[in-house]
Amino acid sequence: MNDANEPCRSKLNLYFDNAATSWPKPEEVYRAPEKQMRQACGNPGRSGHTRTLDADRLLYETREAVAKLFNVNDPARIVFALNATDALNIAIKGCLTSGDHVLYTAMEHNSVLRPLGGLQRNGFITTTTIPCSDKGYPNLEFLETAYRKETRLLVINHASNVTGSIAPLEAMVKSAHRHNVMVLVDAAQTAGSQKIDAAALGLDMIAFTGHKSLLGPTGTGGLYVRPGLDLKPLREGGTGSQSELDQHPESMPERLEAGTLNNAGLAGLLEGLKYIETAGIEAIQDHEQKIRIYLYERLQELSGLKLYGPASDQPAASIVSFTINNTDCGEIGFILESNYGILCRTGLHCAPLAHKAIGSFPEGTVRLSPGYFTTRDDIDYLGNALKEITTLIQK
Amino acid sequence: MVYSCYITFPTTFFAIRAESILKKESTFFKMVPVPRTISSSCGTALRCDCEDIESIKDTLLQNELELEGFYKLKEEGLKTPIVEELDLNE
Repeated sequence: MNDANEPCRSKLNLYFDNAATSWPKPEEVYRAPEKQMRQACGNPGRSGHTRTLDADRLLYETREAVAKLFNVNDPARIVFALNATDALNIAIKGCLTSGDHVLYTAMEHNSVLRPLGGLQRNGFITTTTIPCSDKGYPNLEFLETAYRKETRLLVINHASNVTGSIAPLEAMVKSAHRHNVMVLVDAAQTAGSQKIDAAALGLDMIAFTGHKSLLGPTGTGGLYVRPGLDLKPLREGGTGSQSELDQHPESMPERLEAGTLNNAGLAGLLEGLKYIETAGIEAIQDHEQKIRIYLYERLQELSGLKLYGPASDQPAASIVSFTINNTDCGEIGFILESNYGILCRTGLHCAPLAHKAIGSFPEGTVRLSPGYFTTRDDIDYLGNALKEITTLIQK
Repeated sequence: MVYSCYITFPTTFFAIRAESILKKESTFFKMVPVPRTISSSCGTALRCDCEDIESIKDTLLQNELELEGFYKLKEEGLKTPIVEELDLNE
């Protein structure tokens, strides 16, 4: 990454919070939204002048790039949303009907727990939690016993934002489909950093966000919906087509999109997708895995520091959570930033059930999430900082 | 006096998808605002030579596009064109 605008690569501002939002972004991701607003600022689908068409082309190209990332043939099956939370709401509220039963893993984020909780409190659906091990893996034997005749949906957090543990998608999807249950994958932590093949896995829906591993701006994300699955739209309104009707268009992607989209943000997202395609998702996955292993092993050397989640030899998203003896994790986060310039996230990370599963509720953990641009030097600096902190605490 | 043919689409997505597919072919076409003498669900139409419209239609249908209508317009300067709706359904 280029450097003139990058004070943060200095050791005074070292970024370990990529699971919240990735930083830095590729240069083009910064530039594309400005260029879109200055030079191609038409409203897609509305009127037919050249700027409008350019904006339409941008949306189309971005859909195609997302479709390619997930090995999806038809870009019409990619709809844009504000972020993964928005996409999960569109999916959950669009596919369920009254009386349905829903399964979800204990590693789910509040973006799944709260929409489901709301529908359950209203008496619309019933739910069952699939318990997870202290490493963050769903209990597959329990899953097999949890299906009912009215079970309609299984929601799977592809990788936990607390532990980085990766759910065994293939086995879980096969199990769900054997019981005629649809699968919604929350790929907030994995889209862009782990290979996800919707076609090979036979996934029904994938919710993704643009601002994490896809390296795009906030306010971008979306949902893949498999062919043949028609969701009820969460929002209806202007699409620029079939304007004479008071009925929202039924064909995808307009079916699940209403109002002007975040064109400027999506221009940035497209550049993030292009960057990933050029770098190669395998190379990104490989780098992040190596960085996680290195981080995990550095932290393992420190006495008094307790690590959570998969061991270093297990495949995982680039996340490591820890606590230090009885020290408040917020305090550790504060020391890391104020004394060492290291940015991380502490607390419950919007995933209370995950913390219950791994034994860190209600205190939470300190979460370190390196990214594609994190180096071994960065981790050495972090490791030394934590060595000093653990030594200080144990005195 | 010139004859031009137009294909209309149910939504903008299909119009842009059509453009994306046809760009890879050698056919000459242009995406234009729908002439106001044609009624369409979507504001963008594809204009092409009338001798190419059948083959363009076939290419688009092979790619599972949804198409709305096919038109032949007799255009003479800025006069309102005379519209003929084409029945290209098999």
